[in-house]
Amino acid sequence: MSETLAAVRAETTKLRGIRGTRISLLLFAAVSVLIAALDGWSAKNALESDNPSLRSDFTPEQAGLDGILYGQLALIVFGVLVVTSEYTSGMIRVSLLAVPRRGRLYVAKTAVTALAAVAVSVPVTVLGYLATQAALGSHGSSLGASGVPRALAGAVVYLTLMCLFAAGIAAIARNAVVPLAVLLPMVLAGTHILSLIGATKEMARYFPDQAGNELLTVRSPHTAFGFTVLLAWTVAALGWGWVRQRRWDS
Amino acid sequence: MIDVQNLTKRYGPATVVDGLTFTVRPGAVTGFLGPNGAGKSTTLRMMLGLTRPDTGTARIDGHAYGDLAYPLRHIGALLETSAPHRGLTARDHLRWLAQSNRIATGRVAEVLEAVGLTDAARRRTGTFSLGMGQRLGLAAALLGDPPVLVLDEPVNGLDTEGIRWLRELLRSMAAEGRTVLISSHLMTEMALVADHLVVISRGRLLADTGMSDFIERHGRSYVRVRTPEPDRLGRELEGGGATVTRVPGGGLDVVGMAAADVSRIAAAGGFPLDELGTHAGSLEETFLDVIGEGQRVPGQEGRNTHV
Repeated sequence: MSETLAAVRAETTKLRGIRGTRISLLLFAAVSVLIAALDGWSAKNALESDNPSLRSDFTPEQAGLDGILYGQLALIVFGVLVVTSEYTSGMIRVSLLAVPRRGRLYVAKTAVTALAAVAVSVPVTVLGYLATQAALGSHGSSLGASGVPRALAGAVVYLTLMCLFAAGIAAIARNAVVPLAVLLPMVLAGTHILSLIGATKEMARYFPDQAGNELLTVRSPHTAFGFTVLLAWTVAALGWGWVRQRRWDS
Repeated sequence: MIDVQNLTKRYGPATVVDGLTFTVRPGAVTGFLGPNGAGKSTTLRMMLGLTRPDTGTARIDGHAYGDLAYPLRHIGALLETSAPHRGLTARDHLRWLAQSNRIATGRVAEVLEAVGLTDAARRRTGTFSLGMGQRLGLAAALLGDPPVLVLDEPVNGLDTEGIRWLRELLRSMAAEGRTVLISSHLMTEMALVADHLVVISRGRLLADTGMSDFIERHGRSYVRVRTPEPDRLGRELEGGGATVTRVPGGGLDVVGMAAADVSRIAAAGGFPLDELGTHAGSLEETFLDVIGEGQRVPGQEGRNTHV
């Protein structure tokens, strides 16, 4: 056990020391909060000018969770970089010399990735929500509004699982290019487009990001469904990544 | 002590390491030699738990690498293909290594000092020269003050001063009773630092013996003779059954004849001698001879080998 804790500490130092992973976390925070504020500000203008371009289902509560939908791109990059930074340089061999039990190394890295994602997601989610409400001014809602605490908690779960999903995909691919080329377009547009086409609408619900979106929808009736589907994707990605790591002859 | 027993590794139809058995003892520097593709790196990787052997075991002081709780305290390793992340500073790289094996973080500054990287501690390793990267790798190997050192091509990229420093370090580590195994393709360097040799070719053991014993037993000693009339003396010696090679400056290298016989023939012919001496073969020549024999296939005599 103490060996695993030592490995966790070491992974924390790596994560903080490597510039790419650190920057992607900062970017996640900055983009999420900034977009949340802009979102609130433009909604306020629309509301006050009776602009019809505002979505019919607009609520200030849901608008408070829009920022992280953009910010999550950086968090996905973070999840990918945490894993692939080992492979771009050959550091994985140094890591395996220090922690020869592959399961221990994998668990330590996954745990630190999850901890970092939670530690950053909690303040960013809350701050983003508050930023939107502040920008909405008199149209804003409060942290305690019905369904909001649950959606904020769901957002943290969503972000953490998406980050781990990305890490798992990266562990399968062992390079950053393929996971990023698949994950970023998927999250940006792909599954959204699928969800608009009648034939693929039902299928799109089972994609990790679409399912996960139920978690951060205020008063969603499908939270449990969304959580289960996203969790299944994450466990599958991490599990496959583990099999690849265990078999790999370094 | 490193104990390798019947180690075999196959990649598809190719057997890269073939039933290798040898022991690396403490208190000496052991050189690990073999031509490119002999299986040196694969053997080292199996020793360090990075590659799974098909058969056999490699034990470090009685334990398989993977069973060591904090391996960096037992064995320090430097591999050619392992490098720190370019975005990490030298200090952070050593810090996470120390933390992973519960080594006091004070050691980080000590080993940085030992390898002469104190001033570069806060620089990202991506900006390091080849030699600095090598020094950092050595610092990582020394971090846990391990009783066993395994270094793959440790002099790569080091300057003259660095090579000398490393030589003295390895000698003092061995003198303290530690086990030191180094691979190198630089024969002159190996001849200077190693006490013992393990020579492999095509995955098989060719020699496991002391350095001087290796050269005595396998090396071709020769007689160096110098005279103002090398051509005539050369013919006389060849007439006596020796093989003679001209060297610059009027010298002849005589193989297959003792110095006393060379002297007698020279005296009988009235040749004045400026130099007469018996020389042991160099490690490089001896190594090439041994490898050549090991690789000789019937009908394909005298194949040349890249080292």
